[in-house]
Amino acid sequence: MAERALGPARPRRAGVDAALSYAVSVAVAFAAVGVFLAAMGFDVPRAYGTILFTSFRTANGFAQTLLKFVPLLLLTLAFVVPLAAWKFNIGGEGQLIAGAIGAGAAGIVLPGLPAIALIPLGMLAGIAGGALWAALPAWLLYRFGINEILTTVLMNFVSFGALDYVTTEVWPDPAAGHPTSVPIAVGARLPLLLASPPLHAGLVVALAVAAATHVYVNRTTGGYELRAVGANPRAALLHGIAVRRLSLLALVLGGALAGLAGALEVAGVHHRLIEGVQSNYLLLSILIGLIAKGNLIAVPPVAFAIAVLDVGARAMQRTMQIPVEVVFVVEGLILIFVLLSDVVRRR
Amino acid sequence: MLTLVPYVLASQGTMLAGRAGIFNVSQEGIMLAGASVGFLGAYLSGGNLLQGLVLATVTGALFGLALAYFTTTLKMDQFVVGLALFFIGLAISTLLYRLAVGVTLTPPLIPTLREIALPGLSHIPVVGEIVFRQNVLVYGAIVLSLILYLFLYTSGPGLALRAVGEHPMAADSLGVNVPVVRYVATVVGGMLIGLAGAYLPMVYTATFTDGIVRGRGWLSIALTFFGGWSPHLIFFGALFFAAVEVLAFRVQVTGIGVPYQVILMLPYLATMAVMMPTFRRLQIPAFLGKNYDRERRMLL
Amino acid sequence: MLRAGQPGGAPPLEMRGVRKAFGPVVALDAADFHLREREIHGLLGGNGAGKTTLMNILYGLYRPDAGEVLVGGRPAQIRSPRDALGHGIGMVHQHFLQIESFTVAHNVVLGTPSSRGLRLDLSGAEERIRTLAARFGLDVDPRALVAELPIGARQRVEILKALYRDARILILDEPTTNLTPQEVDALFGSLRAMVDEGISVVFITHKIREALNVCDRVSVMRAGRRVLSVEGREASDEVLVRALVGEDVDVRRSLLFSDERAARPTPAGRPALRVEGLSVTSPQGAPALRDCSLVVREGEVLGIAGVAGNGQRELVEALMGVRAAAGGRVWLDGTELTGAEAARVLAAGVAYIPEDRLQDGFLPKADVAQNLILGFHRRPPYGRGPWLDWPAVYDAARRLIAEYRIRTPGPHEAAVNLSGGNIQRVMLARAFSHPCRVLIAHNPTRGLDVPSTEFVYTKLLELREAGAGILLISEDLDELLLLSDRIAVVYRGQIVGTLPRPAFDRYALGRLMSGVADGG
Repeated sequence: MAERALGPARPRRAGVDAALSYAVSVAVAFAAVGVFLAAMGFDVPRAYGTILFTSFRTANGFAQTLLKFVPLLLLTLAFVVPLAAWKFNIGGEGQLIAGAIGAGAAGIVLPGLPAIALIPLGMLAGIAGGALWAALPAWLLYRFGINEILTTVLMNFVSFGALDYVTTEVWPDPAAGHPTSVPIAVGARLPLLLASPPLHAGLVVALAVAAATHVYVNRTTGGYELRAVGANPRAALLHGIAVRRLSLLALVLGGALAGLAGALEVAGVHHRLIEGVQSNYLLLSILIGLIAKGNLIAVPPVAFAIAVLDVGARAMQRTMQIPVEVVFVVEGLILIFVLLSDVVRRR
Repeated sequence: MLTLVPYVLASQGTMLAGRAGIFNVSQEGIMLAGASVGFLGAYLSGGNLLQGLVLATVTGALFGLALAYFTTTLKMDQFVVGLALFFIGLAISTLLYRLAVGVTLTPPLIPTLREIALPGLSHIPVVGEIVFRQNVLVYGAIVLSLILYLFLYTSGPGLALRAVGEHPMAADSLGVNVPVVRYVATVVGGMLIGLAGAYLPMVYTATFTDGIVRGRGWLSIALTFFGGWSPHLIFFGALFFAAVEVLAFRVQVTGIGVPYQVILMLPYLATMAVMMPTFRRLQIPAFLGKNYDRERRMLL
Repeated sequence: MLRAGQPGGAPPLEMRGVRKAFGPVVALDAADFHLREREIHGLLGGNGAGKTTLMNILYGLYRPDAGEVLVGGRPAQIRSPRDALGHGIGMVHQHFLQIESFTVAHNVVLGTPSSRGLRLDLSGAEERIRTLAARFGLDVDPRALVAELPIGARQRVEILKALYRDARILILDEPTTNLTPQEVDALFGSLRAMVDEGISVVFITHKIREALNVCDRVSVMRAGRRVLSVEGREASDEVLVRALVGEDVDVRRSLLFSDERAARPTPAGRPALRVEGLSVTSPQGAPALRDCSLVVREGEVLGIAGVAGNGQRELVEALMGVRAAAGGRVWLDGTELTGAEAARVLAAGVAYIPEDRLQDGFLPKADVAQNLILGFHRRPPYGRGPWLDWPAVYDAARRLIAEYRIRTPGPHEAAVNLSGGNIQRVMLARAFSHPCRVLIAHNPTRGLDVPSTEFVYTKLLELREAGAGILLISEDLDELLLLSDRIAVVYRGQIVGTLPRPAFDRYALGRLMSGVADGG
């Protein structure tokens, strides 16, 4: 069972226990898949070496990893913040796309503005887009009590159509073979922290947002109320907490975080709208959120680790023809074992 | 009629587990795994569709078994486990396909299910052609819905199943074996969902692609909800879903001046629109999504 | 199979050396129990004494850690209710285990061998239910939906479920809790009829008077053991009370057994809480609370009596601002609170002890301190602007844990590890942690053992002395009679009568509770 991130201070022994169970889970998952790969006739040590160390061998690999880390971190927060109120936001993908469209629109429509105005505007447009995309499921939950898992997912599929429309009908780039928009203005692009390999400033934004999210959830009365709703909505209601309003807020907040991720992808990485901008971030972010058990301190390191695995897996597929999905299976097993370790400790 | 089948099978599978109190949210993953395994089963055996269907059903059963084990025996949260299984289904489906087929430019194909004309009935003008000339799973889905309806409302085990989803402690106190009922319902439900997945490559595409399920798993949950977790209403709801999908397809082909992307959104938007006035009034099993632990004093 | 109660001299039931622990809490320790043929055996004990746990073990709901069960003189392995039913043991739980959307007949046949076939034939079952009902005076329509039956009829359904399975031993857990005194008499009549046909009955209760009135034999449990068994004829108040509370409570000074409270004058303070014409409509559109008016004065306990489900829950929810009222107005000290949200109601000086502490008041995954601030978290010293002052929260929690003697390793301990009695102490500590004008207490002692109950009563009366108004909603008539200055009775969402302390009378209240009389 996923624990909600609770209390500021926890006994130290619990922390050690948790770290140990993570380590064991990771080791067992890798071992199990290793046996399978060996049976298939692959060179397991080399494959695992590629998966684990690609990120750290070259500057380029490390930059690649950080570029993945940014959207993964934000999208995981988009899943975990509503989870504190025990609401499941499975719509990060759609919210990311909506945010990307928002930021892209700002960058394409207002090319004349100076960067100092256009960059924040693009970010805000992205946040607004994501929040708006989450607002519909949130409102359906608030007004009609419709299960949010369902509606947030359905909105993902709606967003695919929207992105396709924007990239093929509104601002299409006819030169591209793939549905792609024209580039955003140079003034809308994020400054780089590192020119080569390119690494955009969105990393700083994402880390700052992660810290702010942690403070909000664990140090404010609003965050306490959020977690109280997650722990027992009826008790929260009877003790003066506006449960439905908070659930709505939690989902919209999640949407805003995902929208920011979309804006950073457009302004920092692609510099245009492009079909497939969402990559497989949604799935990985749910995985990260569940492995971290909703704990906001654990989210950034877990997100980074998953980014490392993802970059490594792609390198492995290129060099060794082992499908990247092998790593998905490893990750899925890690999740299962982490969840199982809770069951074991409960006994 | 063709488009009806995956919705009916997946929703009835969802309904069965739900009626026992297990809320399965891994349909999308199970259907993908079913599609992949079903396709490979048929492809590798040289076009033997039956083998594909059987293997897909077994795959679905394994997923159902995993869900039942983690929630019923280990008492883990149903949503969390469901999402984990969704993820694993997704990973496994593509992995198996890549390992078995490799990366190719021309997708490998399998034959699609043949249509069977019911003797006599299929000669009725217009209606006969539409209703009585279908592949075997269309008939199967209709018969299944009827059987499930009779099972749930007129049989003893059906009564026990409903009791477990409504009030497991009451069922337990009268000697109904709650874990067994939950296992059986979830495994059989998983089989149906796996079968629903295998249907897609065998009827629509003749091959497997990553996006083959396209949210049908999630839509089937929605369908189960506003079918009120009842087999007969789910069947009629599936007619609506299938109609929207066919309509979207038709409009896309002929074009009516609306961007086709809007049409693609239609099934999802229509689903949400339909849920708005109905969701609160829908019947759902009282213990849906909650685990049962006999010795736990606090049922939270 | 050898059924219990067959002739041959062996007692129908014996339990020996039964032990059961829930985590660190030992519920039963070397408990034994002996049931004779054709008797109504009262199993008496305070809440938490282990009587329900013992019977749940007998019924296969809990697995014992040690001990044995003999049915008809032979060792019986009872691992599930199915095994228990196979040995002729039936049980009626305090909270009915019924599926509301099913008919009576469906509820009764569920799980019986005849219902395992593919065709479910109900006509035979319905006939059998009617026959049984007539034989034991348990009138109920097998085709009725359980959800639509009144409490008394639902209890008859529970008993019929056991009789339908040919139970020879019937366990009833606190069967009188939600019945009016008149219904209680009818129940006892039915039990007598069963005993006459050779059935043995175990009657779990915490009320001495009931045990004395109807039981052939009484066993008393305390702290997980049986401490006394006496013939009904030989039992007396004095003996049972002593066994019930043990040596560590001074019986004469205990509030629970005193009449002292009666002597105190009814105060006439200013109105603290005033409710006029409050009405609430259920989600299905039926009126749940109709035109309810009441006044709670400063330094007064106003009791609300009534069978559960007659509008008490709606009254509390409307007062707490979590359920919209269809009409009526509410004032606190002259400030109108009509339609105010829960946050404003609490801020205005209302404290609240919820009816169901687990569902309505408890955050299982939070720690003890976080549970102690729920509802007060926006106020100093806990909340300062948007920030929560955690050091202040934990300091306050340590103080409250000490003051209310909450048994826990500390404020950081996960609340889920608390026992029921300690969770209730958290509810109390929270409600009393800030000064209040009005306390709404809903079943504040349900499920508590004797010392904890005593503790709650003391705290309530202290608060009353301090001048707060207390609205005490309870299904325990004894509790209301002990603590209230006035008792108002609700029936079908209406206040049907209010009695001042001098006019308190159990049967008069019972008539009001069952809607057969108008009160003054």
